[in-house]
Amino acid sequence: MENKTLKATGHDLSERYEQLYTMLLDAIPSSVLLIDQNMRIVSANRNFLEKGQRTLANTIGYGLEEVFPTVILDQMDITKRIRQVIENNQPAKGERMTYRAPGVPIRIYYYSILPFTWQGRVEGAVLLMEDVTERVRLSEEVRRVERHLGSVVESASDLVLSTDKKGRILTWNAAAERLSGYPAAEAQEHDFTDFCTDEDRKDIRNIFSRIDTRKYARQMKECPLRTRQETFIPVSWVFSPLKDSSNQTAGVVAVGRDLTEKQKFETELHQSQKFAALGVMAGGIAHEIRNPLAICSSSAQFLMEEDGTPEFRRECAGKIHKGIQRTSAIIENLLKYSHPSTTTRTTLVNLASLIKETLTLVTYHANILKIDMKTSFPREPIMVQGVATLLQQVFMNLFLNAINAMPTGGRLGIDVKMDHSEVRVQVTDTGCGISPREIGKIFDPFYTTSIVGQGTGLGLSLCYSIVKQHRGTIEAESVEGQGSVFTVKLPAHFGGGES
Amino acid sequence: MNEKYAPILVVDDEPEMCWILENIIRKTGLACMTALSAREAIALTESNKFGMAFLDAKLPDIDGLELARKLRKTNAHLPIVIVSGYFYQDDPTIERVLQEGLIAAFVGKPFDHDEIVSVITRYARR
Repeated sequence: MENKTLKATGHDLSERYEQLYTMLLDAIPSSVLLIDQNMRIVSANRNFLEKGQRTLANTIGYGLEEVFPTVILDQMDITKRIRQVIENNQPAKGERMTYRAPGVPIRIYYYSILPFTWQGRVEGAVLLMEDVTERVRLSEEVRRVERHLGSVVESASDLVLSTDKKGRILTWNAAAERLSGYPAAEAQEHDFTDFCTDEDRKDIRNIFSRIDTRKYARQMKECPLRTRQETFIPVSWVFSPLKDSSNQTAGVVAVGRDLTEKQKFETELHQSQKFAALGVMAGGIAHEIRNPLAICSSSAQFLMEEDGTPEFRRECAGKIHKGIQRTSAIIENLLKYSHPSTTTRTTLVNLASLIKETLTLVTYHANILKIDMKTSFPREPIMVQGVATLLQQVFMNLFLNAINAMPTGGRLGIDVKMDHSEVRVQVTDTGCGISPREIGKIFDPFYTTSIVGQGTGLGLSLCYSIVKQHRGTIEAESVEGQGSVFTVKLPAHFGGGES
Repeated sequence: MNEKYAPILVVDDEPEMCWILENIIRKTGLACMTALSAREAIALTESNKFGMAFLDAKLPDIDGLELARKLRKTNAHLPIVIVSGYFYQDDPTIERVLQEGLIAAFVGKPFDHDEIVSVITRYARR
């Protein structure tokens, strides 16, 4: 094909270029004005005319002040800026301008002014105006959504924070500031693990290190939050990976719930259960205390009489002393049991001694009901990691339930065994048993077959939640009319325990 | 009192309680035999005639009240006194068995020796 451009004459060529530039000027989505030194419009592209709803006829040759609203010219000082550009032969860049023409919606422009030089002489200036109305609207929308999301996170009463992959704090919401006492700026200088207890640190590092594997995408852990005052707030955390736009793990999102209130409620519940158990045992306890009291009282009465031999009087004094010791031991057991436990921290617990202590309390009650107790403990101490008072609650509940199932006497068996890595405690009774219809419901809260006033229906559900909290299991087997077996399994703790 | 009175039976699983009651009874001039369980008590009644019985309410084998019923079967006129720390004076169970005539009196633990002496004076038989 013949190339016409090459054959074109000089005149022809400039005409062509003019047409090409006019086309380009009209095609671009920006407004372009050429202004001479007298601030008159020399040329205006289509975009400018359309936006301003003007024609070439009422634009070309007109002064700037006739084309632009005075307000804009004054406010933005455009005339002065154009003059400066022409004088200094230096472009002026990047200003925003809001354009309001009568009958036209508000437009926002980003404008720049370039000097127009012809043969080394500045002849005028080109005013380039880019319509950024839509862009501004969109970025405002984005900012609004961001603000909204931000206020959701900030208003949450749960702790919401994010870290990088190594655990360095990136964001820290208002709840985190309030609970920890650390402002976000200060928290950002720390790792998440700085807010954990020493013993939780290793676990947390594990969680962070495997957060981007599919299997561990959502990990939960109860771990206390260290506050600025060096106190610890119980918090239940959920950790999830923070994904970037290419679905790569960029960090970790941690959402934590303050468990203070929940724990307070649970403590109250446990305490009320203890008192309920004490109420059940009151008769047995009274009987147990009144016997030594009677011995003391009578021995004292013998002493008050004048006729006793010195030997007899010594015997009386000895009985008084022994009786008081016996009474005091019972009271001490009761005190230990009923003392409210505020601690929920786990310690190493010698499970066998704990069960024996609990049995002592229950014995008073079991004796008067003619219940034989058969116990079997392994020789070596059995250690578990747990909250002693809570574990005592579990066994107290199981023992009392077993005893209550045998109102006319029977046998209570307690068998403690080590079974590989776990401790197995079996509580067996020869009582009324549980019907197959009921056995599925016994661990439900408020389920009870006791008559009103005799049971709260919380005993076994509390046992269940406490055992679960200790990462153990509790199961029940029963034959109606023959008795029940409750089996509690808890993970055993090896090494480094008390002996 | 004198030898015309039959010995008194004391049943309590607590040896110390037996010791106390025995001493009080001896001071009144009466004889006394003690048993630590219902089974022992029944064995004693088979070879002895008692003029009165002090029974603990909670015995290791059977309840004091149940023992009372058993003793009553073989000895319709034996005055029985329950001495217990388990029941109290207005206890419905105690009121019922008193009314029923199963027991003659109830003494709560701990007690004044005068209480024991007065029930002996009142109920002990020859």
